[in-house]
Amino acid sequence: MDIADVLKHTSPDLFLPDLQATDKPGVLVELVQGLVAGSPTISKQDAVLQMLESREALGSTAVGPGVAFPHGRTLAVQKLTVLIARSKAGVDFDSVDGEKTHLFFVLIAPPQDSGHKYIKSLAALTDRLQDDALRQRLMEADDFDAFCTALGGD
Amino acid sequence: MHPELQKLVLLQDIEANIREAEEQGEELKELGFNLDGLNQLKERAEAMAGEINPRHLAYYRRLTRRFGHAVVPVIDNLCTGCFANIPAQFVSATNENLLQKCESCGRILYWP
Ligand SMILES: [Zn+2]
Repeated sequence: MDIADVLKHTSPDLFLPDLQATDKPGVLVELVQGLVAGSPTISKQDAVLQMLESREALGSTAVGPGVAFPHGRTLAVQKLTVLIARSKAGVDFDSVDGEKTHLFFVLIAPPQDSGHKYIKSLAALTDRLQDDALRQRLMEADDFDAFCTALGGD
Repeated sequence: MHPELQKLVLLQDIEANIREAEEQGEELKELGFNLDGLNQLKERAEAMAGEINPRHLAYYRRLTRRFGHAVVPVIDNLCTGCFANIPAQFVSATNENLLQKCESCGRILYWP
């Protein structure tokens, strides 16, 4: 699976270029609000939020340099859905390296996604986001299209 | 939504994420994810199970053993467990104080 495949699961409505929350719980709420607002088939905000919070208990998903990948499976979604968000100021998301997190790629999948499509998507994203210059361009991208072009480029 | 259903959904979601950490753990660790909190997550699942009416929990466990998933979403008026049609009057009753079961397969129904 490559980045172009991953991007099929997101949309301009699932892009939050300027997160306002300043701490981890607040960011999780803002991300979930974005999912509900941006996806016509997701309505159960509490269920999604509780699942993502539980997933963070397993270990912080802020594993990339300045990047977090909150993810998990929930009955509240019907298909793999990807939300992309950005915090200009950065947030303490309990990252592995102790640095602030600026970019968020949220991947949520239904329980019956047996092909583990979302783990493959996670693999494509975590690999791509290792690139320092790319992350810089993503921070500067003006809109969703510019963001995706940078992310999808080689 | 029935409050008991909300708890069952969360329990099933947490259990799915536990199973994934166990089954796909090596793959996830290779991607850099740290799964040290597995026991903590199991404790959460146990705490959640403790809040559920024992009769409902036993039914949930029985369905999980039998089908893998006890709670299934209703999509386009179909039980996504067995694809039986769920009558419209069922849908309008979802907020009442009953756990809704598929009349055909018995799975617990959830309207996402
Ligand atoms: Zn059924």
